[in-house]
Formats: sequence, structure tokens, C-alpha cells
Amino acid sequence: MKIVYTDVLVIGGGLAGLRTAVGVKQRGFDTIVLSLVPAKRSHSAAAQGGMQASLGHSAMGAGDNEDVHFEDTVKGSDWGADQRVARMFTHVAPKAIRELAGWGVPWNRVSQGEREAVINAERVVITESAKAHGLITARDFGGTRKWRTCYTSDGTGHAMLFALGDQSIAHGIPVMERMEALALIHEGGRCYGAVVRNLVTGELSAFLARATTIATGGYGRIYKVSTNAVICEGTGTAIALETGVAELGNMEAVQFHPTAIVPAGILTTEGCRGDGGILRDVKGHRFMPDYEREKRELASRDVVSRRMTEHMRKGLAVQSPYGDHLWLDITVLGREHVHKNLREVTDICRYFLGMDPAEDWIPVRPTQHYSMGGIRTDHRGESTTLKGLFACGEAACWDMHGFNRLGGNSVAETVVAGMIVSEFIADFCAGSESDINLSTGLVREFVEREQAGLDGLLNSSNGESASAIRSRMEEIMIEQVGIFRTGSELESAVEELEQLLERSRRLSVRNRVPGANPELVAAYRLPKMLKLALCAALGARQRTESRGAHYREDFPQRNDRDWLNRSITTWPSAEATLPRLDYESIEVGDMELPPGFRGYGTRDHIDHPHSDQRHRQIEQILKAVDPNDRYARQAALMPFEHLLPEKYRPRSQRLEIKT
Amino acid sequence: MSSPSPGRTLVFKILRHNPQDPTSEPHVARFELEEYEGMTLFIALNEIRERFAPDLQFDFVCRAGICGSCGMVINGRPGLACRTLTSTLAPEITLAPLPVFKLIADLSVDTGEWMRGMSERLETWIHEQTPVDLHAVEERMEPELAEAIYELDRCIECGCCIAACGTARMREDFVGAVGLNKIARFRLDPRDARDDGDFYDLIGDDDGVFGCMSLLGCHDICPKELPLQTQIAFLRRKMVRVS
Amino acid sequence: MKRNLLPARLDLAQSVTGLVLAVFMAFHLVFDSSILLGANAFRFVSGALEGELIFGQKIPLITTLFAGVIFAIFIAHAGLAMRKFPQNAAQYRAFRSHMKEMRHGDTSLWWLQIWTGFAMFFLASVHLYIMMTQPDTIGPAGSSYRIVFEWKWPLYLLLTIAVVLHAAVGLYRLALKWGWFEGKDPNRRRKTLKKAVWIVSAVYLAMSLAALGAFVHIGLTGQDHFGNQVEVVPR
Repeated sequence: MKIVYTDVLVIGGGLAGLRTAVGVKQRGFDTIVLSLVPAKRSHSAAAQGGMQASLGHSAMGAGDNEDVHFEDTVKGSDWGADQRVARMFTHVAPKAIRELAGWGVPWNRVSQGEREAVINAERVVITESAKAHGLITARDFGGTRKWRTCYTSDGTGHAMLFALGDQSIAHGIPVMERMEALALIHEGGRCYGAVVRNLVTGELSAFLARATTIATGGYGRIYKVSTNAVICEGTGTAIALETGVAELGNMEAVQFHPTAIVPAGILTTEGCRGDGGILRDVKGHRFMPDYEREKRELASRDVVSRRMTEHMRKGLAVQSPYGDHLWLDITVLGREHVHKNLREVTDICRYFLGMDPAEDWIPVRPTQHYSMGGIRTDHRGESTTLKGLFACGEAACWDMHGFNRLGGNSVAETVVAGMIVSEFIADFCAGSESDINLSTGLVREFVEREQAGLDGLLNSSNGESASAIRSRMEEIMIEQVGIFRTGSELESAVEELEQLLERSRRLSVRNRVPGANPELVAAYRLPKMLKLALCAALGARQRTESRGAHYREDFPQRNDRDWLNRSITTWPSAEATLPRLDYESIEVGDMELPPGFRGYGTRDHIDHPHSDQRHRQIEQILKAVDPNDRYARQAALMPFEHLLPEKYRPRSQRLEIKT
Repeated sequence: MSSPSPGRTLVFKILRHNPQDPTSEPHVARFELEEYEGMTLFIALNEIRERFAPDLQFDFVCRAGICGSCGMVINGRPGLACRTLTSTLAPEITLAPLPVFKLIADLSVDTGEWMRGMSERLETWIHEQTPVDLHAVEERMEPELAEAIYELDRCIECGCCIAACGTARMREDFVGAVGLNKIARFRLDPRDARDDGDFYDLIGDDDGVFGCMSLLGCHDICPKELPLQTQIAFLRRKMVRVS
Repeated sequence: MKRNLLPARLDLAQSVTGLVLAVFMAFHLVFDSSILLGANAFRFVSGALEGELIFGQKIPLITTLFAGVIFAIFIAHAGLAMRKFPQNAAQYRAFRSHMKEMRHGDTSLWWLQIWTGFAMFFLASVHLYIMMTQPDTIGPAGSSYRIVFEWKWPLYLLLTIAVVLHAAVGLYRLALKWGWFEGKDPNRRRKTLKKAVWIVSAVYLAMSLAALGAFVHIGLTGQDHFGNQVEVVPR
């Protein structure tokens, strides 16, 4: 049995994982990154439109700051977010942008003087300040009050991932490719590392570490149609769940992106709408203003996706052999803008649809896109229940997104969380609590258990085929745990998924090679994916309200009175077929921004009994504070700076640009 | 959407070999599929694996032409399989793994190790003058310069340029267009403190820019249409000037 | 660490020697083709190049020296270019199969350059050696005799084809290599350059092969194609 020792084991080589590794390395700890694929191929590269950070340099972003970003994020989350974490995030986001700029990300810059832009389908002239010339600019995204999304054309994630990938190489961090963590090694509520399978040779080894970090992204591939890369199967989240100790949070909170192309399901960035693109129906009618008078196409994603689906249900969709869809029209932006600033979109349309988006409308429909849920952590990124296990990025429920994430906040979260969590991991590793006292016998037990599982799959015959079960799971998720949900559908989804999970315990494979074996991989991942699907479906069934991306047609109101909480799922035992569901309440009394109307979507919710009280309390507190000192006002309501690692506490300098 | 003639039967000839398996010999395997509208090589290969060859190895990640995982030789030319519509190909399609890179199995090759080696050798990261002050307003940059850097930063390290390069096929230490483009990118970047002399030390030999024979296979097949021809020429002029 | 500047200099030298040879050939072939205007035209041109206009008489030593210099440049260019040739059977096979699979114009053109270059090792060497050692025989009569009766026409036929193609493709590649004439749209400009390669090659080949024919005609008939008598006899 091969055992590899390191200080910090990072599972996942995307933006969050790489930033974490660089962070602990800078603090002097050894680290190894495990990745299913070469790190620069991670799904982070597919983030197109941009990263939110309240720099406020562009004319349309003037007056932006952490406060506005915080408010947008919390409203976007439909008050599901941990507001302290949202504060930490918005405070550090500008620093992350600047760090990445130093590492070479070619952020688009402000160009002084007049320029044409399209806002609400009309050409307008924006005058950029000379003072801001050459500073990082931003575009508009959904659910934001200011233009805040910093970008490099529409290849933002790519540019960020390559800058970070290069940094990890500069720091000499080993990134072991084609390695998959099959199980976490843990005992007594403490995580010690992982059992890891080499996807080329099939060999199992144990990686032991003071701290283990999961940064494996989302679980979009449990859905039939997803914008996610094919590796986004949530297995990192699942191995945490399978410890029976670690908790997952808000697994039912699954985001659908309004504009993925039909039929391939490939994303076209929110930047299309941010830059002025509009949605049209079968008659060519621009319908979003009919539903959302103020934000129109740029309400939050959950709202736009629902409105689109609602509109299609009225029979106003375009019928195609691949199902119904609507049109995304970016021809209004002009050829030059489309081909220069929406270059990936142009390429995607050219190669997958054989059309030019500067000339023709793009067929789109809402498609699974993001997993708000994940491994529940505290503000430090450590699992709430399994010591030594950290998580960040999409794999985590840190929880700054609550029940809906704003566009541009996910790439931002990856690097910001990587910056913050790596500091806490380093602190943890520096202390004696990270010491490992572990018998190799226990390690052997974990490795042998995994080996036995694999051998079982390779040696069994006449079992079920993984691909049939998987297809059914994907269908159930998209049909019954999708954008619009009802109790009865969710009930049947849970029931059938449970049956599928039982069937998935009797799989066999045709290809009996122990090494590189795609069929075997699909087979051992399937039960993990089904468990996540069950967490999402059960969470959705139990949550009898609508919040953010979770929408119950039978309970259309947001219900703060009964449901201002986080769903917490754990897996009780290896034999169990259903997760255990608990709830963690979100305290209104601690909130800087108590629940209210989001400013888009329907103005209809059931108040929390303490909401009014907190509103009054806030008024009282603010009376005693200088109205011009926004930092003091914020600190009086919900102090958070002490929660941050010391190096990130200073305020971000900003250029005050008058308009 | 492009529409292929209905009911075409596609014949796939796939070069197969698994070096992990001592009994495996390189051979061409033949598969037939009914084509349908919108079929890409991503869809076709998954269908072949599902129906005929559960052990068929290939790599896809984003399946949207963004991540560069699926570079392979399609009818003799390197390209990204995920975004290749079968309707753009003749009904007989030959697929082979990218040459130069270490073969993992069938259509899967290890580009990661090669690219990491290249990156370490050419030090493809910003060599900062002074560490960034995270709390201060960032350094200014001309908008056009930022765009020019991004233009070169779009490389996805798919490896197609290496596979399409006659020099790289003959000489394994040649850094290829991917490496030279990176140097051009960092050279353009004012945040990188290195000067032409430093870059010369990295690429000023026959494994670097002087090894390039301007065959331009790289330029002509680059899936991201990077301006490799002009960038390599530019570098050559600058590097000669160092001498 | 001392910076090794040799690779840069060798690369530059390869290009410069190639450029010099190509430019030289561009003139050389035009001068040769003066035979198309008749024996007297050729006599005038060859005489002028040997200093007749300046010194009042031909000085064959000029040709010897000039041929010597070209020979030296030629050898230098060949030596420098050879570094890029396949060095062993494995490299040879790798490139061959690569070229066959890729079906890529500029890649295949390089193969053409290798083979034309390789051929010129022998063909051009013989020619240059004769020019160095027998400069006094250059003229309508001497050249025709050499071509017809000393059996040099096959050599010149092959050499002409090789040198025209090698030089035209070489110039094209030089432009790409150093980024000359990129213009605003380098991709379009490259297509234009490529077209120019073929046009120039065709014109030069037609002209030079016609000239070779003219020499053969003189050798066989004792008169040029305008009917001027040329006394073709051995020295």
C-alpha cells in the first residue's frame, strides 16, 4: 500500500483548489493538488462573462462599493446567504481582482471618453472618466445595481485559471493529474486525507495530510442537460457526504442559467444580456419587460429562468425537434462588439449551431448551471462537523449564495474563498490540533474497503448497467427536480431515486480491466451521484416554500416565518437509502440586511416574526452613527472584519469618481 | 443549423492501443453509426463507447471548445473533437491520438505533463517587479494593451499546434508554437520584469524560436486562431536583435 | 551564465545567405535568358559582366572570383540549412508520415525545399566548379557546346527547376519567418505571397527553360533562332 504524506491535500485543480494550494504554499506548507484532468482544463475555464468586484471604475459602476455588492448578493440569495460570509466575500473581492491583475490576468480596462453601449435595447452614449482611464472596467450582469462584473472579453475564467495555473507552477506545487479521490480517510470526527485512484493505472494509494480540502466544483451532471463540464459529477461533495460525518448544505438549491444553446446545452454568457442582448419569443416579441418591468432581462438568474419557462408554457416557445426554446438576440449589439467582446459566444455559435450571432438569433433555454449547495463549512471553510476537512468554491456551502447565486459571483467566490480559506488552513496546520496520530492499520482498512468495492464491480456478472440507471436519474432530476417543482413530483422523484440507488448497488461492468476503464469509473461514481440527487430531491420535497432557485408551484411564496434556514443533509450509514435531513436556522437578529423584497420577481412573501423588530433595531443603531461613515455604520450592524485573516482586513483603496 | 444529408451512415476508423495492456497492439478499429443532425465527435464517440466499445478511451471535459482536452487527429489533421460536427466531414472518419504527447490509451494523450514541462522550462508566469499591494488601486494599463495581451492569452494548451508542427514531430525538445506564443504574451505584458535578454535565455536556440522553420501548421490549425505566424516572426526579430 | 548568441547568428546567417543566393539567381537567370534575344545579346551581357565595358576586354578572372564567392556562400547556406534536415531515419519517417497525414501546403513545400536543396548539392557544385575553372568559355558558342556536346543539358534542366523552386519558396518562407510584408491582414497577405511564389516560379521556369532550349538549338543547328550564325566548335 502506497502512502503519500503532505501538509495540505487539495482535491480539485480548478480556481478554488489552485488558489488554496498557492495560499498554503506561500505560508510555507507542503501541498499536493489532485485533479481529474490537467488543472488548466478544469471547468473554471468555462466561466465566460466575468467576476464581480466592486471597483466602481466604469461610469456605470460609479458609486459602487462593498455595501452595494453585499446587498445585491444577499438579495440575490433570497436571504439564504450567511451575511457575515457575504461581507467577507465582498470585502476581499477587489483584492482578489488586484492580485490576479498582478499575476497577469489581462482585465479589460476603462477607456476614457465617450463610447456607445446598448442599454434596454437602445444605443446610448456613456462617458468614461479620464481619472479612471486604464483601470479595470466592468460590465453589467443580472441582479446587480451597478456595473460590477470585471472581465477579459468573454474568456474571464480561462484567463484567471491560466494565471493561477501558472502561479501554481511558479510555486512548484505538484498537481497530480488523472487522480480521483474515492473516499475520505477519517476517524473520530477528524479527516486525515483520502484514498485516491490513479485513473490511468487503476492503482489505489492513500494520501495523508494535516488538512484535506475539497474544491471539486458542482454536481450539475446529475441533470440531463447541464452547462457543466462532463467532469462536474459532484464526486468530491459525495465523498464528504459518505463519511457520514460531514454535512452538506442547501442541496436543493440548484441554479438554472437562462441562456444555454439548444440542443448542446452549452452556456452563452450572461454578458450577452449584460451588454444589451434581449430575449425574444416565437413571435419575435421581447417578453421580459412584460414580467419584470424594472430589471427586464437582467433580473437574477432564478427569476429570468422561471419567467422564460413560464412564457414557454404559454405556448409562446419556438418548437424544434430538440424541444422548445426561445431566442437570445445579440444582433442589436453590432457586429464589432459581438465578435470582439463576445468572442467565445461567437465561436460556440459558429461551431455548434453553424450561425453567426451578430446576424441571427441564438436558440436558448434555461439549463442546469450551478450548485449553490455543497459541503457545509464555517466561515473559515472548515466542515462544521468533520475537523481537518475544508472545502471551498462551488463544492462548498460556505454560504454566500444562499438559494441563488448572482452571475459573476462564482468565479469571484473561487478565488476569494481560496485566499481566505488557505489562510485558515495554514493557521490550522501551524497548530498542534493538526497533528496526525493515525495507525496505518486504519489507512489500510480504508484502502482495502475501496479496493473491495472495485473488485466487486469487476468480478460481478449479470448486474445492472450503470448507464441505464444514470440516464434515468438525469431524466428524473431535470423533469421533477427542475425549475418548477411540485410536492407530488418531488415525492415520486425521491421514491424512484431511492430505487435507483438500491439498484446501483448491484452493478456489473462488461470491461473488466482494472486500470484505465471508463465503464468502471462510471459505475463507481453512480451511487455517489445518486446520493447527491437524493439530497437535492428530498431537500426540495421537504422545503414547502419558494426561495431563490428553489421554486415550489404548490408553495409559491417565500416563507421566512417557517423556512429561513439552511437544509443540512448527512448520510446516516453505508446501507441507508435516504439522507438524514436537518435544518440550521438563519438568525434574523444577526442580519445586517433583514429579509424584504428583492426588487425583482414577485413581491410576495411571508415575513419572519423578528423581521420588523430587526428593522427597527437597525434604525436605532444607525441613529447613533455618523451617516457619512459607511464603514462605521456597517460595523455597528454586523461586525465581520475580525472574522477575516489579518492580511485581508485592511480596507480596499478606491478611486472616488464623480459622475 | 447545418443539416447533413439524412440517414448517412458514418464509418469511424479509430486508431486503438493501450500501452498499459501488454497484449495490446496498435490497430485500427472500425465502427458504424447512423448520423443525426447536430452530431459532434463528442456525441459520436460517447455513442461508440456506450454501444460497442466500453473500454474506448478519450478525453472530453467542457465539450464546448473551451478547455482543450479533446485534441485529436481528425482525418489527418489535429483539431478539437467536441466542436467538430460530423456533418462537416466525409462519411468515413479516421481518428487518431495526437502524436508527440505520451499516449495514455486510444485517443487519450498526456498533454498535461508536456505542458507543465514547457511551462517550467519557459517560466511562463509573470515575474513581478514588486509584489502587488492588494489594498491599493491597481496599476493602470492602456485598454488596447490589455486586449492585445488577452489576444495571446487565449491559448488553451490543447496541443494541436505541437501535433501539427513538422519540427516538433522530428525534435522532441522543440517548445513549439504554444511555448513561443507564451513568451510573446509575457513579453508584451508590462507587469513582467523580464527583458529580451532573459527571454533569449529561454528561447534563443534551436529548441526555441530558431528551431521554427515557419511551416505554419500551427498557425493554420490553431483552434483559437491565435496569430502564431506573426508572433513567432516578431519574436525571431527581437531575439536576433539581442545578439 | 554567458549568453550563447551563436544560434541567433546562425539563423540570421542562413536567411541572409539564402536571400543573397536568391537575389543572385534572380539576376543570373535573367542574364542567361538574354540568349532569347539572340546570340549577340547574350554575348553582350556575358561580356559586360566580365568587365568588357570597363576594361575594354573580357577578364575571365572576374567570373572565377565571383563564382568562387557564390560557391562559398552556397556552401555556407547548405551547411546552415542542413542543420534543419531530418538527422536520422526516425526523424525522416516522422516528418514523412506527418506530411502525408496533414496534407498541409506549407509543410509539403518544405519537403520540396529539402529535396531541391539536396539535389543542388551536386548539380550546383558541378556548375559552379565549371564556371570557376572555365570562365573563358562562357558565350553563345561555348555555352551551347557545353550544353549539347558535353552533355550538360540534363544537368541544367534539373538545376534550373531545382533552383527556381527552391529560391521562390525560400523567399516566401523568409518573408513569413521574419514577418516581412505582413500588412494589415497577415493571413490574406500570406495568400498573396503564395500566389506570387507560383507566378514568379512559372515565369522564371518558362523563361529559363526557353533559354536552355535556345542554347540547345544553337548547339544543334549552329545558329540562333533569329538565324545568326554561331560557330559551335570545341575549344
